[in-house]
Amino acid sequence: MTDNDSIDARVPIIICEDVTVSFGDFQALKGISARVYEQEVVVIFGPSGSGKSTFIRTINRLEEHDGGRIVVDGIELNDDVGNLEQIRSEIGMVFQQFNLFPHLSVMRNITLAPQKVRGVPKQEAEEQAMELLERVGIPEQAQKFPTQLSGGQQQRVAIARALAMKPKIMLFDEPTSALDPEMIKEVLDVMGELAHSGMTMMIVTHEMGFAREVADRFLFFDEGLVVEEGTPEQIFTNPKEDRTKLFLSQIL
Amino acid sequence: MTLADTKRHSSDTGAARGWLSKNLFSSPSNSVLTVVVGSFLFFVLYAAVKFIFFDADWTIISVNKRLIFLGRYPQGEEWRVWPPLWLVFGLGGLSYGLLARASRRDLVWLGVILAFILGFLAHGGVGLLFGGATLFAIAAYRVGRMAEDRPRLRSRLRRAVIVGWLVLIPFTVVMIAAFGGVRPALWGGLLLNVLLAIVGIGVGLPLGILLALARASSLPVLKAVSTAIIEVTRGGPLVAWLFISRFVLPAFLPDWLQVDPIISAMFIVSLFTGAYVAEIVRGGLQSVDPGQSEAAHALGLNTFNVTLFIVLPQAIRAVIPALISQMIALWKDTTLFTILGFTDALGGAEAAFSQTEFIGRQKEALLFIALLFWSGSLGMSRLSQRFEKVLGIGER
Repeated sequence: MTDNDSIDARVPIIICEDVTVSFGDFQALKGISARVYEQEVVVIFGPSGSGKSTFIRTINRLEEHDGGRIVVDGIELNDDVGNLEQIRSEIGMVFQQFNLFPHLSVMRNITLAPQKVRGVPKQEAEEQAMELLERVGIPEQAQKFPTQLSGGQQQRVAIARALAMKPKIMLFDEPTSALDPEMIKEVLDVMGELAHSGMTMMIVTHEMGFAREVADRFLFFDEGLVVEEGTPEQIFTNPKEDRTKLFLSQIL
Repeated sequence: MTLADTKRHSSDTGAARGWLSKNLFSSPSNSVLTVVVGSFLFFVLYAAVKFIFFDADWTIISVNKRLIFLGRYPQGEEWRVWPPLWLVFGLGGLSYGLLARASRRDLVWLGVILAFILGFLAHGGVGLLFGGATLFAIAAYRVGRMAEDRPRLRSRLRRAVIVGWLVLIPFTVVMIAAFGGVRPALWGGLLLNVLLAIVGIGVGLPLGILLALARASSLPVLKAVSTAIIEVTRGGPLVAWLFISRFVLPAFLPDWLQVDPIISAMFIVSLFTGAYVAEIVRGGLQSVDPGQSEAAHALGLNTFNVTLFIVLPQAIRAVIPALISQMIALWKDTTLFTILGFTDALGGAEAAFSQTEFIGRQKEALLFIALLFWSGSLGMSRLSQRFEKVLGIGER
């Protein structure tokens, strides 16, 4: 985990400078500047419609930014398709709705991208998939299809699928929001383990208890801007902005 | 004795009466409807059964078998048809075996059709060849079943089956036409219908998928071209396109592009089927959750792989019933080719009842043709249900 003294000595792996995103007339991001350092866990929170999902989706260009710069691992995000595919293969993403491929078995969901993108041989990809399924606690589900699994199990498969590409960064877009309450913990446990293992993570979540435990830094979003940024300590015990205080008082 | 026992003992007629009064005579107006429809059905069925089994003279079929099945296909060249047919039987059996265990209902239908063919149509050498093909299909089915618990054999067979179906069309054309074979103008009878349908499906289906992908693409030129092809093709009836291919197009094409009318007809069915398939598949593409391609792109897969492995399989699965229905429509539309003067199965039947000794025997000939097309359609519809079950549609 992080050691605050050394944080500036480390390399930023994601650099965003004045990033803007618009959908038609609506400006969803109004100029976001942020840095994420290697092995850092950054939690993004804020009211709905504040642009936090849009921001995290901009990092692997599922949304295109129309202003500012985004540099991931030394590569700038632009229209270059080759760059884009390389960046995407180094960023794992976990979605609110899991987005597993329903027509493929759990095993195939995990092995498809390593085989097609990285050219990993089938047998090696399957061995690696089994290791990942053990890591997320469901090796016995390998031959099943996604719809035969519970929501929590599906989300854990989605995490394993993203990890199979050996990403340097993992993005989580409200990973527990579509889950029944009793399944949230099993997914958070997997994410917690991942954070402790040193993965660089950006997490959009409303699970503030969990976030406080794993996060190195919080970004509070409102109306397309970063309103406040700080360590868990600063955010929870001494928020500077009124809007942060108000939002925290509503959700805690 | 329990109450249920008393009821059962009280008589089966009681139960039957209960069913009748509930389903057919529940109100005065329903009773009237039942009587009217019932008597209508009775008279029609009575007349049909009486005709088929007592009044009809089926010699028109047995005498003209050759005309109906092969048209003007030359004598002595029949052997060329058998290898492709055996291939179809083998591939059919193997595919079925790989997909699923044969249901009792399928077996009954197959048995009925086989008994009909062997008892009524195929005798002597043809019967032997046909029986052999059937045994071959059964053996292939057994092999397919055996592979169920052997993943390696299974994936190898699956690949062989796919390759087999892919080479079927070129193989058939080569067998029939090449090496001093039969020129297209002489292809006829049911053979012609089957060939047109197979080419229409075999070329039209992939063409339609490509057109759908092009129309859904973000490249403006590709999109415009595909949309134009689809809309122009769908804008005219098949019959009109056939006439155009026969009488208008040759006037505009250079000499070296002049092809046999059957070949240009095959081109037309493929294009026509492709246009309709494209719109069906486009509907399927729209039904796939955008989250699917987002997730696939997020893994670093390129657009080609996302389409091939993630979007297209789900899109096609969603529209299998509509696709099969298009195939069934195409199968029956192949009879339209008689208007160009080809002697397909229907044309053969017409030729048969124009013969002086069979004048007035249209009913027999047309009923027989109806039976041929109906059994083809039924087979495709059953195949579609099999596919849907195997692919787990509706279980998503």
